[in-house]
Amino acid sequence: MGEVQFEGLVAMSSYYDIDSILTDAQKVPCTFELTVPGLGYIDGNLGQDMKQGTKVELPLWLGEMLAVSNNITLDNPSCLSPRVLNALKADPKTVDLRALAPHFYGLGARMLELYPYPDLIDTLSDTLKTRAAVIADQAHNPRGAIGEGADFLRGLDETERQLFRAAHDSAKGVRMWIAVQKKK
Amino acid sequence: MALPLPPGLTPPEIAFLCEMELVTIIPRQRLEGLKLLGGPTPPLTPPHRTNLPLWLALLLKRQKRANIAPPPWLSPSSLGEILDLETGLSTFSPPPNLSFKPLSSTSTSTPTPISPPFTPSSTASAPSDALPYHWLELGEILLEAAADDFDDPDAVRRLLRDLRDARMAKVRAMVEKLEAGGGVRIAGVGGMEVAEGRAFLGGVVDGLRKIEARREKEEDGGGSGDDDMDDL
Repeated sequence: MGEVQFEGLVAMSSYYDIDSILTDAQKVPCTFELTVPGLGYIDGNLGQDMKQGTKVELPLWLGEMLAVSNNITLDNPSCLSPRVLNALKADPKTVDLRALAPHFYGLGARMLELYPYPDLIDTLSDTLKTRAAVIADQAHNPRGAIGEGADFLRGLDETERQLFRAAHDSAKGVRMWIAVQKKK
Repeated sequence: MALPLPPGLTPPEIAFLCEMELVTIIPRQRLEGLKLLGGPTPPLTPPHRTNLPLWLALLLKRQKRANIAPPPWLSPSSLGEILDLETGLSTFSPPPNLSFKPLSSTSTSTPTPISPPFTPSSTASAPSDALPYHWLELGEILLEAAADDFDDPDAVRRLLRDLRDARMAKVRAMVEKLEAGGGVRIAGVGGMEVAEGRAFLGGVVDGLRKIEARREKEEDGGGSGDDDMDDL
């Protein structure tokens, strides 16, 4: 698991990790800092130039590379807007993270690599911890996934889904062992 | 990455390790001492109690050559007390005092510090007021293989289930205390509980580490930030 690190960003931390690839494919709003000839097709203007100051949504991997070379600026994605962060501070359990971004924490971590948002680190950590406690309870409760927990579980981002699966599978492993023990 | 199993031990593996625990048996038949790789077993003479590894005790029990004396902590009254303690505490009930002397019958060398499964934490002389490391596994195995040696197996079974629920709720509540860089003291947690909580708690810490990677890097002074990443 070698890590190649350039210019302060961990770019290839997990080369074959599908979640890492999907995180990089999420779109972030960008603003072009200079006029690029012939690039207008990205914005739907075939054959035109990409004007300076145009706002477009680019995949994170592309936006990141262009931002590092100062061709564009990355804007704060809507899922990390102050409105969402305030909602997360108020009650992390009621926010539908999946609707905001399927790889919400991944996107947050990647944005943190590019720009320091000291407040964001605390908000995301507290969100993950609070929601993880609920996830663990739901994963151990056999009715959790179909009863009142269904709405919450539908709003889990990919990291949280993996946590749910991990908690559920390990509890199931122990239950299975006890059941096999009884058959002997 | 290609390993099909997650890190850590699976429940059957933990149960396998648990079978090295010493338990006290009451033999019904005479048996010479066996010379095993793990050391010689004491000769069995019917009315005398002997400590044997659990796997051998189970074998003799299944062949009806011995009865197993459940450890003192596996009695309804002890389990009830531990459960009361457990529900009152926000931490886990403390593990048994491990300052045992090695049993003279199994060890001839000078006393060395020993840890489970080499402590006699599940023999008839074990302390009755604390759960040893392999409490859940040993309890389940004994209840299945030697239910007739218990006075009230149903009460023990019920109390074990209550204890497991109370303690697993604490394992889950532990996420609130987790931090990306810090450790958490979990003294008193049993082997099966570690196996059950490992994947989930490890996943939460991984998530926190990813979020706080930036802060770690700044605290390390920027350039040297990749050193601790390589340790992972």
